[in-house]
Amino acid sequence: MTMRIAYALLAALLFAWLPARAAEPLAVITAAANPLDTLSLDDLKLVYLRKSQMDTEGNRWIPLNLPVADPLRRGFSLALFSLLPEEQEDYWNLQYFNGISPPKVMASEEAMLRFVASTTGSIGYVRKQKVDNRVKVLRLITPPAAK
Amino acid sequence: MQFSQQKRTLEYKFRLFPSSSALSANLYIYAGDLPASFLQQLLKFMRVTIFFNLLVTALSIGSIPAAAADEVESVYRLGSGYPVGKTGLRIGGYASTKIGVPRADPWYFEVSDLSLFLTWDNGSRLRFFSELEVGDVLSAGEHQSLGIQKAHFEFERFYIDGLVNNNLTVRVGKFLTPIGQWNLIHAAPLVWTTFRPVATENLFSTHAAGLMFYGSVSVASRQLEYSVYGDMSESIDPHRSKNPFENAAGAHLRYFLNDTLQIGASFANFVLNGLQPTRYYLAGLDIAWSYQQYELSSEIVYRTNAHANIESAWQGFVQSIIPVSEHWFVVGRYEFFEQPQDETGQVGLLGLAYRPLPPLVWKLEYRLGTNNETLAPDGLSASFAILF
Repeated sequence: MTMRIAYALLAALLFAWLPARAAEPLAVITAAANPLDTLSLDDLKLVYLRKSQMDTEGNRWIPLNLPVADPLRRGFSLALFSLLPEEQEDYWNLQYFNGISPPKVMASEEAMLRFVASTTGSIGYVRKQKVDNRVKVLRLITPPAAK
Repeated sequence: MQFSQQKRTLEYKFRLFPSSSALSANLYIYAGDLPASFLQQLLKFMRVTIFFNLLVTALSIGSIPAAAADEVESVYRLGSGYPVGKTGLRIGGYASTKIGVPRADPWYFEVSDLSLFLTWDNGSRLRFFSELEVGDVLSAGEHQSLGIQKAHFEFERFYIDGLVNNNLTVRVGKFLTPIGQWNLIHAAPLVWTTFRPVATENLFSTHAAGLMFYGSVSVASRQLEYSVYGDMSESIDPHRSKNPFENAAGAHLRYFLNDTLQIGASFANFVLNGLQPTRYYLAGLDIAWSYQQYELSSEIVYRTNAHANIESAWQGFVQSIIPVSEHWFVVGRYEFFEQPQDETGQVGLLGLAYRPLPPLVWKLEYRLGTNNETLAPDGLSASFAILF
Protein backbone atom coordinates (compact mmCIF):
# COMPACT_ATOMS: atom_id res chain seq x y z
CA MET A 1 0.00 0.00 0.00
CA THR A 2 2.80 2.39 0.98
CA MET A 3 4.59 1.58 -2.26
CA ARG A 4 1.44 2.37 -4.28
CA ILE A 5 1.14 5.74 -2.62
CA ALA A 6 4.83 6.37 -3.28
CA TYR A 7 4.45 5.48 -7.00
CA ALA A 8 1.36 7.68 -7.29
CA LEU A 9 3.20 10.60 -5.72
CA LEU A 10 6.19 10.03 -8.02
CA ALA A 11 3.95 9.96 -11.07
CA ALA A 12 2.16 13.11 -9.97
CA LEU A 13 5.49 14.84 -9.45
CA LEU A 14 6.68 13.72 -12.88
CA PHE A 15 3.54 15.00 -14.63
CA ALA A 16 3.76 18.25 -12.71
CA TRP A 17 7.39 18.65 -13.76
CA LEU A 18 7.03 17.79 -17.47
CA PRO A 19 4.73 20.63 -18.57
CA ALA A 20 6.75 23.06 -16.50
CA ARG A 21 9.88 22.03 -18.38
CA ALA A 22 8.12 22.25 -21.75
CA ALA A 23 7.01 25.78 -20.95
CA GLU A 24 10.42 26.81 -19.62
CA PRO A 25 11.03 30.35 -20.87
CA LEU A 26 13.79 31.07 -23.36
CA ALA A 27 15.87 34.20 -23.02
CA VAL A 28 16.68 36.00 -26.26
CA ILE A 29 20.20 37.31 -25.70
CA THR A 30 22.69 39.71 -27.18
CA ALA A 31 26.12 40.94 -26.06
CA ALA A 32 26.14 42.78 -22.71
CA ALA A 33 27.74 45.78 -24.41
CA ASN A 34 24.92 46.11 -26.98
CA PRO A 35 23.00 49.36 -26.34
CA LEU A 36 19.75 47.66 -27.39
CA ASP A 37 17.62 46.76 -24.35
CA THR A 38 14.59 45.11 -25.90
CA LEU A 39 13.35 43.70 -29.19
CA SER A 40 9.74 43.18 -30.24
CA LEU A 41 8.56 39.76 -31.36
CA ASP A 42 7.92 41.10 -34.88
CA ASP A 43 11.45 42.51 -35.12
CA LEU A 44 12.87 39.25 -33.80
CA LYS A 45 10.97 37.37 -36.50
CA LEU A 46 12.48 39.60 -39.19
CA VAL A 47 15.97 39.09 -37.80
CA TYR A 48 15.53 35.32 -37.83
CA LEU A 49 14.11 35.38 -41.36
CA ARG A 50 17.21 37.40 -42.38
CA LYS A 51 14.90 40.19 -43.59
CA SER A 52 16.18 42.64 -41.01
CA GLN A 53 19.89 42.90 -41.67
CA MET A 54 21.16 45.56 -39.28
CA ASP A 55 20.65 46.62 -35.69
CA THR A 56 20.08 50.24 -34.64
CA GLU A 57 23.86 50.77 -34.36
CA GLY A 58 24.42 49.77 -37.97
CA ASN A 59 25.97 46.38 -37.13
CA ARG A 60 24.92 43.36 -39.17
CA TRP A 61 22.62 41.07 -37.23
CA ILE A 62 24.09 37.60 -36.77
CA PRO A 63 21.14 35.42 -35.69
CA LEU A 64 22.12 32.09 -34.13
CA ASN A 65 20.25 28.82 -33.82
CA LEU A 66 20.79 25.55 -32.02
CA PRO A 67 20.81 22.31 -34.05
CA VAL A 68 17.48 21.32 -35.65
CA ALA A 69 16.92 18.38 -33.30
CA ASP A 70 17.50 20.42 -30.13
CA PRO A 71 14.22 20.83 -28.19
CA LEU A 72 15.08 24.48 -27.48
CA ARG A 73 15.44 25.19 -31.20
CA ARG A 74 12.15 23.50 -31.95
CA GLY A 75 10.41 25.41 -29.17
CA PHE A 76 11.93 28.70 -30.33
CA SER A 77 10.85 28.05 -33.92
CA LEU A 78 7.29 27.22 -32.84
CA ALA A 79 7.10 30.28 -30.60
CA LEU A 80 8.34 32.62 -33.30
CA PHE A 81 6.87 31.21 -36.53
CA SER A 82 4.39 28.52 -35.45
CA LEU A 83 6.47 26.23 -37.64
CA LEU A 84 9.05 23.56 -36.93
CA PRO A 85 12.53 24.07 -38.41
CA GLU A 86 11.96 21.48 -41.15
CA GLU A 87 8.74 23.26 -42.17
CA GLN A 88 10.77 26.34 -43.02
CA GLU A 89 12.96 24.54 -45.52
CA ASP A 90 11.03 25.87 -48.54
CA TYR A 91 11.58 29.41 -47.32
CA TRP A 92 15.33 28.88 -46.95
CA ASN A 93 15.56 27.27 -50.38
CA LEU A 94 14.06 30.43 -51.86
CA GLN A 95 16.45 32.59 -49.86
CA TYR A 96 19.39 30.45 -50.94
CA PHE A 97 18.44 31.14 -54.56
CA ASN A 98 18.92 34.82 -53.71
CA GLY A 99 22.19 34.36 -51.88
CA ILE A 100 20.83 34.54 -48.33
CA SER A 101 21.88 31.85 -45.85
CA PRO A 102 19.91 30.76 -42.77
CA PRO A 103 21.14 31.67 -39.25
CA LYS A 104 24.39 30.09 -38.07
CA VAL A 105 24.01 26.98 -35.96
CA MET A 106 25.80 26.76 -32.61
CA ALA A 107 26.69 23.44 -31.01
CA SER A 108 25.25 24.16 -27.54
CA GLU A 109 23.85 26.82 -25.25
CA GLU A 110 27.33 27.46 -23.85
CA ALA A 111 28.68 27.89 -27.40
CA MET A 112 25.79 30.28 -28.08
CA LEU A 113 26.64 32.29 -24.95
CA ARG A 114 30.34 32.48 -25.89
CA PHE A 115 29.61 33.56 -29.45
CA VAL A 116 27.02 36.16 -28.45
CA ALA A 117 29.29 37.58 -25.74
CA SER A 118 32.18 38.05 -28.14
CA THR A 119 30.51 38.96 -31.43
CA THR A 120 28.94 42.34 -32.11
CA GLY A 121 25.46 42.09 -33.61
CA SER A 122 24.91 38.46 -32.71
CA ILE A 123 21.63 37.36 -31.19
CA GLY A 124 20.69 33.96 -29.79
CA TYR A 125 18.60 32.18 -27.18
CA VAL A 126 19.26 30.01 -24.14
CA ARG A 127 17.22 28.79 -21.20
CA LYS A 128 16.59 31.62 -18.76
CA GLN A 129 18.64 30.08 -15.98
CA LYS A 130 21.70 29.80 -18.25
CA VAL A 131 21.94 33.58 -18.66
CA ASP A 132 24.99 35.16 -17.03
CA ASN A 133 26.61 38.60 -17.03
CA ARG A 134 28.35 38.10 -20.38
CA VAL A 135 25.05 38.70 -22.16
CA LYS A 136 21.93 40.81 -21.95
CA VAL A 137 18.34 39.53 -22.18
CA LEU A 138 16.28 41.28 -24.86
CA ARG A 139 13.08 39.44 -24.15
CA LEU A 140 11.69 36.21 -22.76
CA ILE A 141 9.77 33.75 -24.91
CA THR A 142 7.63 30.90 -23.69
CA PRO A 143 7.60 28.07 -26.23
CA PRO A 144 4.22 26.46 -26.89
CA ALA A 145 3.70 22.75 -26.38
CA ALA A 146 5.58 20.67 -28.95
CA LYS A 147 3.73 19.83 -32.19
CA MET B 1 43.77 32.93 -72.61
CA GLN B 2 43.17 31.95 -76.23
CA PHE B 3 41.89 29.20 -78.49
CA SER B 4 44.07 27.72 -81.21
CA GLN B 5 41.85 26.49 -84.04
CA GLN B 6 44.77 24.65 -85.67
CA LYS B 7 45.90 22.71 -82.60
CA ARG B 8 42.34 22.43 -81.18
CA THR B 9 43.69 23.56 -77.80
CA LEU B 10 42.73 26.13 -75.18
CA GLU B 11 45.91 27.89 -74.10
CA TYR B 12 46.06 29.66 -70.75
CA LYS B 13 49.19 31.72 -70.00
CA PHE B 14 49.69 32.55 -66.35
CA ARG B 15 52.22 35.22 -65.39
CA LEU B 16 52.82 36.43 -61.85
CA PHE B 17 54.42 39.62 -63.20
CA PRO B 18 52.64 40.89 -66.32
CA SER B 19 55.75 42.46 -67.86
CA SER B 20 58.10 39.56 -67.23
CA SER B 21 58.16 35.90 -68.14
CA ALA B 22 59.64 35.09 -64.71
CA LEU B 23 57.34 32.82 -62.73
CA SER B 24 55.09 32.09 -65.68
CA ALA B 25 53.34 28.93 -66.78
CA ASN B 26 51.37 27.78 -69.79
CA LEU B 27 48.41 25.45 -69.50
CA TYR B 28 47.11 23.64 -72.60
CA ILE B 29 43.73 21.91 -72.68
CA TYR B 30 42.90 19.72 -75.68
CA ALA B 31 39.50 20.70 -77.00
CA GLY B 32 38.87 17.72 -79.26
CA ASP B 33 35.88 18.12 -81.56
CA LEU B 34 33.98 20.64 -79.46
CA PRO B 35 32.40 23.33 -81.69
CA ALA B 36 34.40 26.57 -82.01
CA SER B 37 31.41 28.71 -80.97
CA PHE B 38 31.04 26.71 -77.78
CA LEU B 39 34.76 27.12 -77.05
CA GLN B 40 34.58 30.88 -77.60
CA GLN B 41 31.77 31.07 -75.06
CA LEU B 42 33.77 28.89 -72.68
CA LEU B 43 36.73 31.27 -73.03
CA LYS B 44 34.59 34.30 -72.19
CA PHE B 45 33.15 32.47 -69.22
CA MET B 46 36.56 31.39 -67.90
CA ARG B 47 38.09 34.85 -68.22
CA VAL B 48 35.37 36.50 -66.19
CA THR B 49 35.16 33.64 -63.71
CA ILE B 50 38.89 33.70 -62.97
CA PHE B 51 38.85 37.47 -62.46
CA PHE B 52 35.93 37.36 -60.07
CA ASN B 53 37.16 34.33 -58.20
CA LEU B 54 40.33 36.28 -57.45
CA LEU B 55 38.29 39.34 -56.45
CA VAL B 56 35.98 37.41 -54.17
CA THR B 57 38.83 35.45 -52.59
CA ALA B 58 40.66 38.70 -51.89
CA LEU B 59 37.54 40.23 -50.38
CA SER B 60 36.86 37.20 -48.24
CA ILE B 61 40.21 37.33 -46.42
CA GLY B 62 39.13 39.42 -43.52
CA SER B 63 36.94 39.44 -40.51
CA ILE B 64 36.24 35.95 -39.24
CA PRO B 65 34.35 35.92 -35.94
CA ALA B 66 36.62 35.05 -33.03
CA ALA B 67 34.20 32.53 -31.63
CA ALA B 68 33.75 30.68 -34.92
CA ALA B 69 35.03 27.47 -33.36
CA ASP B 70 31.74 27.11 -31.46
CA GLU B 71 29.77 26.94 -34.68
CA VAL B 72 28.49 23.51 -35.65
CA GLU B 73 30.90 22.17 -38.22
CA SER B 74 29.74 23.41 -41.61
CA VAL B 75 28.90 20.41 -43.72
CA TYR B 76 27.36 20.18 -47.17
CA ARG B 77 23.60 19.91 -47.13
CA LEU B 78 21.46 19.45 -50.24
CA GLY B 79 19.71 22.67 -51.13
CA SER B 80 21.97 25.03 -49.23
CA GLY B 81 25.30 24.90 -51.02
CA TYR B 82 28.80 24.23 -49.80
CA PRO B 83 30.27 26.75 -47.33
CA VAL B 84 33.99 27.25 -47.98
CA GLY B 85 35.36 27.13 -44.45
CA LYS B 86 34.75 30.35 -42.54
CA THR B 87 35.50 32.60 -45.50
CA GLY B 88 31.90 33.64 -46.12
CA LEU B 89 31.99 31.96 -49.52
CA ARG B 90 29.28 29.50 -50.47
CA ILE B 91 29.14 27.48 -53.67
CA GLY B 92 26.04 25.74 -54.96
CA GLY B 93 23.49 25.87 -57.71
CA TYR B 94 20.80 23.86 -59.42
CA ALA B 95 20.30 21.55 -62.37
CA SER B 96 17.28 20.50 -64.35
CA THR B 97 16.49 18.15 -67.17
CA LYS B 98 13.32 17.79 -69.20
CA ILE B 99 11.60 15.72 -71.86
CA GLY B 100 8.99 17.37 -74.06
CA VAL B 101 6.50 15.63 -76.31
CA PRO B 102 4.62 18.46 -78.04
CA ARG B 103 1.45 17.40 -79.82
CA ALA B 104 2.48 18.85 -83.20
CA ASP B 105 6.29 18.82 -83.02
CA PRO B 106 9.05 16.23 -82.57
CA TRP B 107 9.95 15.10 -79.03
CA TYR B 108 13.10 16.39 -77.41
CA PHE B 109 15.28 15.86 -74.36
CA GLU B 110 17.39 18.51 -72.67
CA VAL B 111 19.62 18.90 -69.67
CA SER B 112 18.19 22.37 -69.71
CA ASP B 113 20.03 24.15 -66.91
CA LEU B 114 23.19 23.80 -64.94
CA SER B 115 23.53 26.89 -62.79
CA LEU B 116 26.34 27.61 -60.38
CA PHE B 117 25.91 30.06 -57.50
CA LEU B 118 28.82 31.80 -55.87
CA THR B 119 27.87 33.79 -52.78
CA TRP B 120 30.11 35.80 -50.52
CA ASP B 121 28.89 37.32 -47.26
CA ASN B 122 31.32 37.67 -44.36
CA GLY B 123 29.02 39.77 -42.18
CA SER B 124 30.23 43.14 -43.47
CA ARG B 125 28.04 45.66 -45.31
CA LEU B 126 29.06 44.26 -48.68
CA ARG B 127 28.01 40.96 -50.18
CA PHE B 128 28.36 39.38 -53.58
CA PHE B 129 26.26 36.93 -55.58
CA SER B 130 26.70 35.41 -59.01
CA GLU B 131 24.87 32.78 -61.02
CA LEU B 132 26.62 31.33 -64.03
CA GLU B 133 24.45 29.17 -66.18
CA VAL B 134 25.20 26.59 -68.82
CA GLY B 135 22.01 26.31 -70.81
CA ASP B 136 20.96 23.27 -72.87
CA VAL B 137 24.08 21.39 -71.69
CA LEU B 138 22.98 18.22 -73.44
CA SER B 139 20.18 17.86 -75.91
CA ALA B 140 18.67 15.22 -78.14
CA GLY B 141 15.51 14.83 -80.17
CA GLU B 142 13.60 12.96 -82.79
CA HIS B 143 15.86 14.42 -85.48
CA GLN B 144 18.97 15.09 -83.41
CA SER B 145 21.41 12.77 -81.69
CA LEU B 146 22.59 13.41 -78.16
CA GLY B 147 25.13 16.22 -78.10
CA ILE B 148 26.18 19.61 -76.82
CA GLN B 149 25.38 21.53 -80.00
CA LYS B 150 23.00 23.91 -78.24
CA ALA B 151 25.09 24.44 -75.11
CA HIS B 152 25.71 28.06 -74.17
CA PHE B 153 27.00 30.05 -71.20
CA GLU B 154 25.21 32.93 -69.62
CA PHE B 155 25.69 35.19 -66.63
CA GLU B 156 22.21 35.03 -65.19
CA ARG B 157 23.06 37.22 -62.23
CA PHE B 158 26.14 38.99 -61.05
CA TYR B 159 25.92 41.71 -58.43
CA ILE B 160 27.31 43.36 -55.35
CA ASP B 161 24.96 44.50 -52.57
CA GLY B 162 25.87 47.38 -50.30
CA LEU B 163 23.78 47.56 -47.13
CA VAL B 164 23.15 51.21 -46.32
CA ASN B 165 20.84 50.68 -43.36
CA ASN B 166 18.15 48.28 -42.23
CA ASN B 167 15.69 49.66 -44.78
CA LEU B 168 17.90 50.23 -47.79
CA THR B 169 20.33 48.14 -49.82
CA VAL B 170 22.01 49.24 -53.05
CA ARG B 171 22.60 46.58 -55.70
CA VAL B 172 24.99 47.07 -58.62
CA GLY B 173 25.28 44.54 -61.43
CA LYS B 174 23.01 42.18 -63.29
CA PHE B 175 19.89 40.93 -61.52
CA LEU B 176 16.45 39.43 -62.14
CA THR B 177 13.91 42.03 -63.20
CA PRO B 178 11.52 42.55 -60.28
CA ILE B 179 8.27 42.17 -62.21
CA GLY B 180 5.82 39.81 -60.51
CA GLN B 181 6.98 36.97 -58.28
CA TRP B 182 7.68 34.10 -60.63
CA ASN B 183 10.59 35.79 -62.37
CA LEU B 184 12.36 36.28 -59.04
CA ILE B 185 12.17 32.59 -58.09
CA HIS B 186 12.08 31.03 -61.55
CA ALA B 187 14.64 28.24 -60.88
CA ALA B 188 13.27 24.82 -61.82
CA PRO B 189 13.57 23.29 -58.30
CA LEU B 190 11.58 26.18 -56.80
CA VAL B 191 8.60 26.22 -59.14
CA TRP B 192 5.89 23.64 -59.72
CA THR B 193 5.83 23.34 -63.49
CA THR B 194 8.38 22.56 -66.19
CA PHE B 195 7.32 25.58 -68.25
CA ARG B 196 6.87 29.02 -66.80
CA PRO B 197 3.69 30.99 -67.55
CA VAL B 198 3.93 33.15 -70.67
CA ALA B 199 3.06 36.27 -68.67
CA THR B 200 6.21 35.92 -66.57
CA GLU B 201 8.64 36.42 -69.44
CA ASN B 202 7.03 37.39 -72.74
CA LEU B 203 6.44 41.13 -72.45
CA PHE B 204 9.66 42.24 -70.72
CA SER B 205 13.28 41.27 -70.22
CA THR B 206 13.73 38.79 -67.40
CA HIS B 207 17.08 40.38 -66.52
CA ALA B 208 18.24 43.90 -65.91
CA ALA B 209 21.74 45.29 -65.48
CA GLY B 210 22.37 48.51 -63.64
CA LEU B 211 21.49 49.89 -60.26
CA MET B 212 18.75 48.87 -57.85
CA PHE B 213 17.67 50.29 -54.50
CA TYR B 214 15.68 47.85 -52.43
CA GLY B 215 14.63 47.11 -48.89
CA SER B 216 11.61 47.01 -46.66
CA VAL B 217 9.70 49.29 -44.35
CA SER B 218 6.95 48.65 -41.85
CA VAL B 219 3.49 49.88 -42.88
CA ALA B 220 0.57 49.27 -40.51
CA SER B 221 2.72 46.76 -38.61
CA ARG B 222 3.33 44.75 -41.78
CA GLN B 223 6.30 44.57 -44.12
CA LEU B 224 6.28 46.51 -47.36
CA GLU B 225 9.17 45.44 -49.60
CA TYR B 226 10.21 47.75 -52.39
CA SER B 227 12.70 47.78 -55.24
CA VAL B 228 13.44 50.60 -57.63
CA TYR B 229 15.87 50.03 -60.49
CA GLY B 230 17.49 51.59 -63.51
CA ASP B 231 18.81 49.41 -66.31
CA MET B 232 21.66 50.11 -68.72
CA SER B 233 22.06 46.66 -70.27
CA GLU B 234 23.06 48.17 -73.60
CA SER B 235 26.10 49.82 -72.01
CA ILE B 236 27.21 47.51 -69.22
CA ASP B 237 26.12 43.93 -69.89
CA PRO B 238 28.25 42.17 -72.51
CA HIS B 239 26.54 38.84 -71.70
CA ARG B 240 23.01 39.89 -72.55
CA SER B 241 20.22 37.48 -71.86
CA LYS B 242 17.46 36.63 -74.30
CA ASN B 243 15.27 39.57 -75.29
CA PRO B 244 17.24 42.11 -73.19
CA PHE B 245 16.40 45.65 -72.23
CA GLU B 246 18.25 48.42 -73.99
CA ASN B 247 17.45 50.64 -71.05
CA ALA B 248 14.74 50.57 -68.43
CA ALA B 249 13.48 52.00 -65.20
CA GLY B 250 10.99 50.35 -62.90
CA ALA B 251 9.75 49.53 -59.45
CA HIS B 252 8.13 46.69 -57.59
CA LEU B 253 6.21 46.74 -54.30
CA ARG B 254 5.19 43.76 -52.21
CA TYR B 255 3.02 43.98 -49.12
CA PHE B 256 2.59 41.15 -46.63
CA LEU B 257 -1.02 41.30 -45.47
CA ASN B 258 -0.37 38.45 -43.01
CA ASP B 259 1.88 35.39 -42.76
CA THR B 260 0.04 33.62 -45.59
CA LEU B 261 -0.98 36.35 -48.03
CA GLN B 262 1.09 38.84 -50.04
CA ILE B 263 0.25 41.20 -52.86
CA GLY B 264 2.56 42.96 -55.29
CA ALA B 265 2.55 45.66 -57.94
CA SER B 266 5.10 46.25 -60.72
CA PHE B 267 5.80 49.19 -62.98
CA ALA B 268 8.37 49.47 -65.77
CA ASN B 269 9.27 51.83 -68.57
CA PHE B 270 11.71 50.35 -71.09
CA VAL B 271 13.11 49.92 -74.57
CA LEU B 272 13.85 46.36 -75.70
CA ASN B 273 17.07 45.70 -77.51
CA GLY B 274 16.77 44.69 -81.16
CA LEU B 275 13.11 45.55 -81.60
CA GLN B 276 11.71 48.78 -82.96
CA PRO B 277 13.01 51.69 -80.87
CA THR B 278 9.78 51.99 -78.99
CA ARG B 279 9.36 52.82 -75.36
CA TYR B 280 7.05 50.44 -73.53
CA TYR B 281 5.08 50.98 -70.35
CA LEU B 282 4.24 47.98 -68.22
CA ALA B 283 2.11 47.57 -65.12
CA GLY B 284 1.52 44.35 -63.25
CA LEU B 285 -0.20 42.90 -60.20
CA ASP B 286 0.61 39.71 -58.38
CA ILE B 287 -0.86 37.87 -55.43
CA ALA B 288 0.22 34.76 -53.55
CA TRP B 289 -1.51 32.87 -50.79
CA SER B 290 -0.12 29.80 -49.08
CA TYR B 291 -1.40 27.85 -46.11
CA GLN B 292 0.32 24.70 -44.94
CA GLN B 293 1.09 23.16 -48.35
CA TYR B 294 -1.78 24.70 -50.31
CA GLU B 295 -0.95 27.55 -52.66
CA LEU B 296 -2.85 29.93 -54.88
CA SER B 297 -1.07 32.53 -56.96
CA SER B 298 -1.78 34.85 -59.84
CA GLU B 299 0.06 37.44 -61.90
CA ILE B 300 -1.24 39.82 -64.52
CA VAL B 301 0.71 42.27 -66.69
CA TYR B 302 -0.35 44.94 -69.14
CA ARG B 303 2.09 46.45 -71.65
CA THR B 304 1.39 49.44 -73.83
CA ASN B 305 3.50 51.82 -75.95
CA ALA B 306 3.40 55.00 -77.99
CA HIS B 307 3.89 53.26 -81.37
CA ALA B 308 0.82 53.20 -83.61
CA ASN B 309 1.59 49.75 -85.10
CA ILE B 310 2.36 47.85 -81.92
CA GLU B 311 -0.68 46.72 -80.01
CA SER B 312 -0.96 46.78 -76.26
CA ALA B 313 -1.19 43.41 -74.56
CA TRP B 314 -2.62 41.80 -71.42
CA GLN B 315 -1.23 38.53 -70.12
CA GLY B 316 -1.79 36.61 -66.92
CA PHE B 317 -2.24 33.33 -65.11
CA VAL B 318 -3.82 31.73 -62.05
CA GLN B 319 -2.19 28.68 -60.48
CA SER B 320 -3.17 26.40 -57.63
CA ILE B 321 -1.25 23.73 -55.76
CA ILE B 322 -3.05 21.03 -53.81
CA PRO B 323 -1.12 18.54 -51.69
CA VAL B 324 -2.48 15.00 -52.03
CA SER B 325 0.03 13.44 -49.66
CA GLU B 326 3.23 14.48 -47.92
CA HIS B 327 5.27 14.40 -51.12
CA TRP B 328 2.73 14.50 -53.97
CA PHE B 329 1.08 17.65 -55.31
CA VAL B 330 -1.50 18.37 -57.99
CA VAL B 331 -0.89 21.51 -60.04
CA GLY B 332 -3.53 23.35 -62.04
CA ARG B 333 -3.02 26.51 -64.07
CA TYR B 334 -4.95 28.71 -66.44
CA GLU B 335 -3.15 31.24 -68.64
CA PHE B 336 -4.18 33.83 -71.17
CA PHE B 337 -1.94 35.95 -73.33
CA GLU B 338 -2.63 38.57 -75.94
CA GLN B 339 -0.03 38.34 -78.68
CA PRO B 340 0.83 40.75 -81.50
CA GLN B 341 0.66 38.31 -84.44
CA ASP B 342 -2.27 36.18 -83.36
CA GLU B 343 -5.51 36.08 -81.45
CA THR B 344 -5.46 35.83 -77.67
CA GLY B 345 -3.96 32.53 -76.55
CA GLN B 346 -5.35 30.45 -73.71
CA VAL B 347 -3.80 27.44 -72.03
CA GLY B 348 -4.82 25.06 -69.30
CA LEU B 349 -2.23 22.97 -67.51
CA LEU B 350 -2.72 19.96 -65.29
CA GLY B 351 0.29 18.47 -63.58
CA LEU B 352 1.64 16.29 -60.87
CA ALA B 353 4.73 17.02 -58.79
CA TYR B 354 6.62 14.63 -56.54
CA ARG B 355 8.96 16.17 -53.96
CA PRO B 356 10.74 13.49 -51.93
CA LEU B 357 12.78 16.30 -50.35
CA PRO B 358 12.30 20.08 -50.64
CA PRO B 359 15.35 20.56 -52.93
CA LEU B 360 14.27 17.75 -55.33
CA VAL B 361 11.27 17.72 -57.60
CA TRP B 362 9.91 15.48 -60.35
CA LYS B 363 7.19 17.02 -62.54
CA LEU B 364 4.76 15.69 -65.10
CA GLU B 365 2.31 17.97 -66.87
CA TYR B 366 0.03 18.34 -69.86
CA ARG B 367 -0.84 21.63 -71.57
CA LEU B 368 -3.81 22.18 -73.82
CA GLY B 369 -4.97 25.46 -75.29
CA THR B 370 -6.04 27.62 -78.18
CA ASN B 371 -3.91 30.02 -80.26
CA ASN B 372 -0.96 28.81 -78.19
CA GLU B 373 1.24 27.14 -80.84
CA THR B 374 4.03 29.71 -80.65
CA LEU B 375 4.27 30.56 -76.96
CA ALA B 376 2.95 27.54 -75.05
CA PRO B 377 2.23 24.59 -77.36
CA ASP B 378 0.01 21.65 -76.43
CA GLY B 379 1.77 18.56 -75.21
CA LEU B 380 3.16 16.42 -72.47
CA SER B 381 6.34 17.19 -70.57
CA ALA B 382 8.28 15.71 -67.70
CA SER B 383 11.22 17.08 -65.79
CA PHE B 384 13.51 16.65 -62.84
CA ALA B 385 15.22 19.44 -60.93
CA ILE B 386 17.59 19.59 -58.01
CA LEU B 387 18.91 22.42 -55.88
CA PHE B 388 22.42 21.57 -54.70
